[in-house]
Amino acid sequence: MAKKKPLSVLFVILLPLALCAQEKHNFSVSGTIKDKRSGETLSGATIGFLDHPGLGVVSNAYGFYSITIPEGKYAMVVSFSGYAIDTVALDLTQNIVLNKSMSPTNNQMQEVVVTSSRRSNNILKTPPGVQHLSMEDIKNVPVLFGEKDVLKTIQLLPGIKSSGDGKSGFFVRGGGADQNLILLDEATVYNASHLLGFFSVFNSDAIKDISVYKGGMPANYGGRLASVEDIKMKDGSDQKFGVNGGIGLIASRINLEGPIVKDKGSFMVSARRTYVDAFTGLASDTNIKHSVLYFYDINLKANYTLNEKNRVFLSGYFGKDVLDIKSGAGIDWGNSTATFRWNHIFSNKLFTNSSLIYSNYNYNTQYTNNANNIRVSSTITDYHFKQDFNYYLNPRNKLDLGIDVIYHVTQPGQATASQTSKYNNVTLQKKYALESAIYASHEWTPVPKLKFTYGVRLTALTVLGPDSAYTYDNASNVLTSTWYPGGKVVKTYLNPEPRFAASYQLDGNSSVKLAYDRNVQNIHLLNNSTSSSPTNVYLPTSNIVQPEIADQVSGGYYSNFHNRMYEFSSEVYYKTMQNQIDYKNGAQLIGNNNVESQLMFGKGRGYGWENYIRKKTGMLTGWISYTLSKTERQIVGINNGSWYNAPQDQTHNFSVVGIYQYNKKWTFSATWVYNTGNATTWPSGKFPVDGAPVYYYSSRNAYRLPAYHRLDLGATMIAKKTARFESSWTFSIYNAYGQSNPYTISFQKDPNNPTKTQVLQTTLFKMVPSVTYNFKF
Amino acid sequence: MQKTIFILLLLVVFISCTKTITPALNTAPAQLIIQGAVSDTAGPYYVSVLNSVGFYADNSYPGVSGAGITITDSTSGLRDVLTETTTGYYVTHSLVHGIYGHTYLLNVSLNGKTYTASSTMPQPVALDSVTFDKQTKNTIRAQANYQDPTGVVNFYKYSVVINGIPDKRFQTFEDRLSDGRYIQDKVDADTSEIKVNDMVQLSLVGIDKNVYTYLSEAENIAYSNDQLAAPATPVSNISGGCLGYFSAQSVSSRKRVVK
Repeated sequence: MAKKKPLSVLFVILLPLALCAQEKHNFSVSGTIKDKRSGETLSGATIGFLDHPGLGVVSNAYGFYSITIPEGKYAMVVSFSGYAIDTVALDLTQNIVLNKSMSPTNNQMQEVVVTSSRRSNNILKTPPGVQHLSMEDIKNVPVLFGEKDVLKTIQLLPGIKSSGDGKSGFFVRGGGADQNLILLDEATVYNASHLLGFFSVFNSDAIKDISVYKGGMPANYGGRLASVEDIKMKDGSDQKFGVNGGIGLIASRINLEGPIVKDKGSFMVSARRTYVDAFTGLASDTNIKHSVLYFYDINLKANYTLNEKNRVFLSGYFGKDVLDIKSGAGIDWGNSTATFRWNHIFSNKLFTNSSLIYSNYNYNTQYTNNANNIRVSSTITDYHFKQDFNYYLNPRNKLDLGIDVIYHVTQPGQATASQTSKYNNVTLQKKYALESAIYASHEWTPVPKLKFTYGVRLTALTVLGPDSAYTYDNASNVLTSTWYPGGKVVKTYLNPEPRFAASYQLDGNSSVKLAYDRNVQNIHLLNNSTSSSPTNVYLPTSNIVQPEIADQVSGGYYSNFHNRMYEFSSEVYYKTMQNQIDYKNGAQLIGNNNVESQLMFGKGRGYGWENYIRKKTGMLTGWISYTLSKTERQIVGINNGSWYNAPQDQTHNFSVVGIYQYNKKWTFSATWVYNTGNATTWPSGKFPVDGAPVYYYSSRNAYRLPAYHRLDLGATMIAKKTARFESSWTFSIYNAYGQSNPYTISFQKDPNNPTKTQVLQTTLFKMVPSVTYNFKF
Repeated sequence: MQKTIFILLLLVVFISCTKTITPALNTAPAQLIIQGAVSDTAGPYYVSVLNSVGFYADNSYPGVSGAGITITDSTSGLRDVLTETTTGYYVTHSLVHGIYGHTYLLNVSLNGKTYTASSTMPQPVALDSVTFDKQTKNTIRAQANYQDPTGVVNFYKYSVVINGIPDKRFQTFEDRLSDGRYIQDKVDADTSEIKVNDMVQLSLVGIDKNVYTYLSEAENIAYSNDQLAAPATPVSNISGGCLGYFSAQSVSSRKRVVK
């Protein structure tokens, strides 16, 4: 026994040394992924390793990635849809910075070559309810007047519904049109439509990509209930100067970009203007004949890489719409945004971004005729600061932390009238609110096939003075009025928003996902008319108007098949909403300091099943999406307190998009959409008031508009393509078979027969052809 | 190619069109409509009791007989029992002149149910003149010109009589955003509703708040229902479960021939 003891003691002493000798060090590989041709950063590129399935990372919004792995030899594979796969041999003995520039491929002309079936796949790992679209994806989808449009194209995806011809706004999973957070380089865009909804404010030449979140919102987003549309502007090529543009029948656009200092900084300027009023002279209706109708928008961006660890960006958007009818009524509105951002790489594992953002939306209505002369101006201005940290602890753990503070100043209405006008000058109380949030999120991959993203976003809304706070009785009379001086807190609302998403990879090509998220909204849009009038009232949360809250559970099955040529997903969701707003009968929303007395509050719910199949490569590409859904509201005092269909409830929603690359010169495309008509309220009888027929209504939204369907056709012909110059012609027909889809339906006395009443349907567009000439230097 | 493009260019204007449709509409059970007014112009005054009809039916509303109707001037105590003249139309007898500031009460009993309303006659506002506006092609509209009293909350209704026949149209206005201003308001009209050489009488009717609420909601439904996201039946100032209104109103009229 005594002989063996020294041996075991020696073993115990030597064991730790042995372990130390075998212990490997971990090193970080980090860097930025860019497009080789233009220098644009690529967000969402996958960095993986051959023979190490499940080991990988995705580049962040600025193209930054970081992964910490044991030292050794690796074959690193960088891949991103639309680009040639890049492989780098690595011998990892210390922390390294490895930036990659990827070459774009033309997907539609080549088959995709799969190098490893065990490569990790983006689609399988993102939370449910997320969709990314690059400009390549929307390039050939035909839209109204031949203009490529990100917001119009996302309405062809499941779960996202359009509000119809000539109307702006869209509805995601049954939410309201004001429940979508539309961001352009992190700045909130309040009214993302031009010309009453025919075009969005996003000039495709200036846009890099769009990510849409319908559910499973990561903790770094907040502020709206239904969705996030995160739109990124292009940075501009840091390699060479370029000019491209297009001349069309309705609008023309031009885009300039180039390096400030090659490889270090670049700029981009994009401008667009319509001249629809050049054609209104042809209209026979005198009201339209001499109208002024135009919009313009300008996108500006500059960025500069100070050094390896620091990069700054400055972006701005300015746009304006003017609609002035000859009879003396006019509306104009405009958005301006400016963002300053600073990316700082603290270490190989820690990336941070600081943003300072200004956003302003102003809208004005005026009547210029003498007796009714008045100009009403309203604005909403945001001053916004954000700080975000991405910490890539190790391949299994990533932490995101941040702070987000917005100071909202709303001027709901300022009216100026002339001496002879029948209106008084009115200035409504300005509203001040501070919306602050801190969030923390953990992306955890305990085993290679399973990934959790969970976190919480804590939001506080502080209502501030100077302002009066009112309370009201049921008859909308003011009960009490309390004055709060500047800087004094009227009320604070604190709301934690838990976020949770899980994905489980069933095999190399399919996964199932589940998510739960709570979202809170503190800016509310009041609108009780069918037209998406830009004079709608924006109101922040107050002592009367509570923050809106939505809870959503979603989940689904996702797969790629046939060598990743096809992508398929089937998702279900269920959502409940609190503190939804509706209006008293005959609500007076304009010029009303006590507008809150006109509101009624209640609950909402929505559920649906979304299906999507997409063919990504080959001569014929495109997708089919189908959504079956329902969305309802319940407000005490409306519809006898029973649940009623929300107007945007569309039972079936179906889109088919097909793009066919016929040859090197011609590409043809077609889009067909079909949806059940919106729920609507129609009369159940009539009765006289002073002899005039007035209509009687029983329940809210118990009727349906006729089903909407439409075919759009497009063709692009490449006229010239050399290294220095490219030109093409785009032809399109909107509503190719001239379906009469209703824009408005009106119940009225028959003008030809005073003993009867009739129903009149107005259609805005039958067939609308268009031609655009595009050029690129 | 050039010519084709030019022709296509010409085609792009706002191409909209209208057509009548006949969607299936439910008909709710007949609703009772009680409408009556007393004013400062000489009586007698009428109260009508009618039933609603389906949307596609003729614009004639069946009268309801056998209602017991009284109007009481609660300020003076005068109580008048109305009698039926033609089916559904009831007339006053002793009540011949409404007085400013007095509150009038309506009481209707029909088939065991009672409907009541109260309305106070507002102080009068004088209509200065009626003029005509021809700005819109093929349509002549009457224009009311008057001074809104400062510091008083006023609700108005415009009604028009053309060549002695009351025009089946009404329009409301309130001074919420216009207190103390000189008002020149055009009353909407259809093409050829008013023609040259017509004798037009325009009345500025002062009404109380609840009557204004009913009439302005009814106006939105009658003339702008395509712009209402959620149209709803107007709320009557008569309680008991019926439609309609009872108004004590002050009337100021002006006449003119259209040139």
